[in-house]
Amino acid sequence: MSATHTEGALPHEPEKATLEGRNKVLGFWLFLGGEAVLFGTLFATFLALRNQTNEGPTASELFQLPMTAITTLILLVSSLTSVFAVQAMHRHKVGALRGWLAITVLLGLAFLCLEIYEFAEYVHAEKFGMTTSAFSSAFYTLVGFHGAHVAFGVVWISILIGQLFKKGLTVVTAPKIYVSAIYWHFIDVVWVFIFTVVYLLGKVG
Amino acid sequence: MTTEHQANRGIVKHSERHEGPQKHIIVFIFSIILTAIAFAAVMAGGVNAAFTVLLLLVMAILQVLVQMGYWMHLKDRGHLIPIIFMIGGFFVAGTAIVTALYWVWW
Repeated sequence: MSATHTEGALPHEPEKATLEGRNKVLGFWLFLGGEAVLFGTLFATFLALRNQTNEGPTASELFQLPMTAITTLILLVSSLTSVFAVQAMHRHKVGALRGWLAITVLLGLAFLCLEIYEFAEYVHAEKFGMTTSAFSSAFYTLVGFHGAHVAFGVVWISILIGQLFKKGLTVVTAPKIYVSAIYWHFIDVVWVFIFTVVYLLGKVG
Repeated sequence: MTTEHQANRGIVKHSERHEGPQKHIIVFIFSIILTAIAFAAVMAGGVNAAFTVLLLLVMAILQVLVQMGYWMHLKDRGHLIPIIFMIGGFFVAGTAIVTALYWVWW
């Protein structure tokens, strides 16, 4: 019912209602272009060094695909819940918006727990540390950087849930939520390349 | 006829503004299927390695394009500049990967 909005009511897409909000989204896309370059260089390093195992464990000895499948599914579902959060925002349903954001955060935390467990397993059981080989350094840098992005997103979205409690859904808070959703999808997009290039290609050899 | 047609288009646009979750669930299922194909191809093994690598890359790129189009709204109107930013980012990223693999390492 966007045509019948009364004065002062929240528009259908509150994240695009102000110039400041639109600029925030546009500026964030420029940042994501830079993020693509950052991850591109880490992928380049990993691809160049992935067979330099220095007599340590190789990719096909190390990786457990069922584990990777579970983390992939968790991140994919969290991307979907983040879409639902933005749809709830467009319907001005603040309770549903907070709920979907909370589920997204919980799934992000589950992903992080599994990743930490995986890394701990590699370091202790497989003797595959940061300095074991060029492959191990490249692996931990690339996958760890992605994990750090997930951790940052978890903290960021948690703070936004707090802001929603304090300030509600306004033309100021809406762009923040929209931008965090774009960020979360980007993390999922990077993970698609990680499970393909690092884990699956590692198994192929 | 023309005005009626335009009026209909207006209604369609309006209903699109409050889009349901169906489209995104379809993208989700599509992503799951592409992921399952990639994992199955590797877990089954025995297939030609070069073909598997090609298949994996195609599955990944397809999934990324669909997710960026629908979930990150890049296929919606008014996203030309974000698309240019992302193409620029991916171009530099791709250059870094090709350079590391073919010019620096070998």
